[in-house]
Amino acid sequence: MLCSLLALAALPSLAAAQAAAAPPAAPTGNAQRGKVVYETTLRCFACHGYDGQTGTPRLVPMARAEDIFLAYVRRPATPGMPSFAATPEQQLRDVYAYIRSIPQAAPAADSVPLLKGILDRRTKAN
Amino acid sequence: MADSIDRRDFFKGAALGAAGLVVTTEKTADAVAAPPPPPVTLPTDAHAHDLAYAQAQSTVAAPARTVATQGRPASDFMVDVLKKIGFEYAAINPGSTFQGLHESLINYGKNTAPEILTCLHEEAAVAMAHGYAKAAGKPMVVAVHGTVGLLHSSMALFQAWADRVPVVLIVGHHRNPSGVINRPHSAQDMGLLVRSFVKFDDEATTLERFAESAMRAYKIAMTPPMGPVVLTVAAELQESIVTNEPRIPELVMPAPPQGETAAVREAARLLVASENPLIQIAKLGRTPKAWDLLIELSETLQAPVDTMGYSSWQKFPSWHPLYGTGGRGYTPDVTLGLEVTDMSAQARVARANNRKTISISAEHLFQGSNIHDYGRYADVDLAIAADAEATLPSLIEEVRRQITPARKSAIEARGQRVAAAHKAQQLDGIRDARHGWDASPVSVPRLIAELGDQIGKDDWAIVSGHQFTGDWQRRLLNHDKPYRYNGDCGGFGIGYDTPASVGGALAHRKNGRLSVAIVGDGDLNFSPGVLWTAAHHKIPLLFVVHNNRAYHAEVMIIQRMCGVRGRGNENAHIGNVISNPDPNYAALAKAYGMYSEGPIDNPKDLAGAYQRALAKVRAGEPALIDVVSQPR
Repeated sequence: MLCSLLALAALPSLAAAQAAAAPPAAPTGNAQRGKVVYETTLRCFACHGYDGQTGTPRLVPMARAEDIFLAYVRRPATPGMPSFAATPEQQLRDVYAYIRSIPQAAPAADSVPLLKGILDRRTKAN
Repeated sequence: MADSIDRRDFFKGAALGAAGLVVTTEKTADAVAAPPPPPVTLPTDAHAHDLAYAQAQSTVAAPARTVATQGRPASDFMVDVLKKIGFEYAAINPGSTFQGLHESLINYGKNTAPEILTCLHEEAAVAMAHGYAKAAGKPMVVAVHGTVGLLHSSMALFQAWADRVPVVLIVGHHRNPSGVINRPHSAQDMGLLVRSFVKFDDEATTLERFAESAMRAYKIAMTPPMGPVVLTVAAELQESIVTNEPRIPELVMPAPPQGETAAVREAARLLVASENPLIQIAKLGRTPKAWDLLIELSETLQAPVDTMGYSSWQKFPSWHPLYGTGGRGYTPDVTLGLEVTDMSAQARVARANNRKTISISAEHLFQGSNIHDYGRYADVDLAIAADAEATLPSLIEEVRRQITPARKSAIEARGQRVAAAHKAQQLDGIRDARHGWDASPVSVPRLIAELGDQIGKDDWAIVSGHQFTGDWQRRLLNHDKPYRYNGDCGGFGIGYDTPASVGGALAHRKNGRLSVAIVGDGDLNFSPGVLWTAAHHKIPLLFVVHNNRAYHAEVMIIQRMCGVRGRGNENAHIGNVISNPDPNYAALAKAYGMYSEGPIDNPKDLAGAYQRALAKVRAGEPALIDVVSQPR
């Protein structure tokens, strides 16, 4: 049980995987409906966090294009990821729109005093 | 019919006892009834209870008491045995099958060494002993009721077994039970109930055998591979009178087995010749000496140290330059496992790639088990049946002897590469905490980083595991002392963290260490009564509840299964979440007499809450902060 979760945790972020790509086109779905689907119907938050940032892998910033995203979640390549092949297409497009609507910028670690303190201590440790 | 009479008599006796009168038993032929004492207001804590009792005694003529026994109770002798072994604490949940021993502990033994810890569940009692043993380096004794108490404790015994941790458990029963209540609490073979996951069990049928079995049980529990042991003691024996007092034997602990000289030499040869050695550790660190020895070995070889997963005791500093697996692209050609229970995967990969594996472990002395935690068969290249900690000095000496000047320069160059790779990885790992930093509910790294910020100037110890907080504790907190982290449960069963943390904090109390525990809401709900035990015995400890309102690992598992079967996730929460209504853990802690705050879901509120709660802990009390957290 935990093994599959750990394997999932080891995956790089979806965002990082295509960070260098050009920004994808604007989503076609409805972000408001997508939030409901994300939290209650598909329950994506369970692995990816309520804001798409705290889970593994992180979903924001979402670099995948909409159709690539849909293809992936219908037939995911990672063992811990559920398949959403049977989910109505509009729901998936709405979820995509919601993910794209989430504020994407995490603060730089050095800009968070508490994290900067930890980084400094770790740097000095050896 | 006879049973119903027994039952009525039992409750009649209980009622009389509650009224402060003498309880008449078969042994009290000369019982004298006394007038009932005046009502006494019930005190609110142990000290007040003593005070109220003393006041009542000073103002009211003591009632005539029944002398139930003439001579020295056998359970007094048993207490002498426990004292000679050196137990500091006895965790109990009371039961009539060990009433003789219980009475001797509190009156004859003066409730010191061992001092009774009142537990509200036997699982909590054993789990406390589990956490205590890892932090203190020695077991406490646990006493439980026949069958029912032992069965309640069985889950925690299993965890201690799987974690290779010593616990000495005494269970009472009746050799000749009478009555409807006593019979189910007795068994032909009490140890059978838990024999699949204890190292040793015995029933003491005489006082001489009790003394010998207690010594033997302690010795077996503490000899690697360590584990829990059970001693069954009949109530009849406890309550008998000593007629010919046996000698209490000396406790003689065997020296742990060291690796055979030629095998250790060969291990050193492989490690010194290796281009990319890797040291893996699991149940290493019976004593703090292992910490220094492992640092010495790794630095001599400049070999990375992988503390492995959740089943490890993780006795290596987390910000040490050699902490890790060597960095990206580091492929070990020789892997040394120290007390790693299952090296089968490493051995298979190594054999397929012309690499080598070495295992030094007391597990090779394994004598059989019903539990599959021994793993698959590991065809390592070199297996040394010995205690790894006891073998490290000779291994280090042999490694030093075999390192030539040419190898020394290669080893040093490797160490620099590994240290640089680890440092970069670890800094990146810390930076990752920024994601979701201001999220509400609170992110797990924020929960831990804020805690670390508040305890950084204390001599702190994390007494819970990290099974449900990922790797964040090790990333964000510098585990620079062997007691900074106390390991996980061992058997991957929920319900360990909360009570084991109380045991760990108890062990740290006398050293003035600040104990903190990060426990899941799911875990807390298995033994919430241990909050009362911590409050009652004034065990200083900060509980931080990682409250994601679910058995979250299972949420993800069920959602995946829903996906596999194409049935949607709409119902995946059923049976997995702990909400609607949302339990209020701060209120729960208050109900048990503990300072608490929460639920807190805004990360900006964490620092203040931690500060207020830690002020209580530094003053010697437990406290709890309920943090509503992101799922993972």
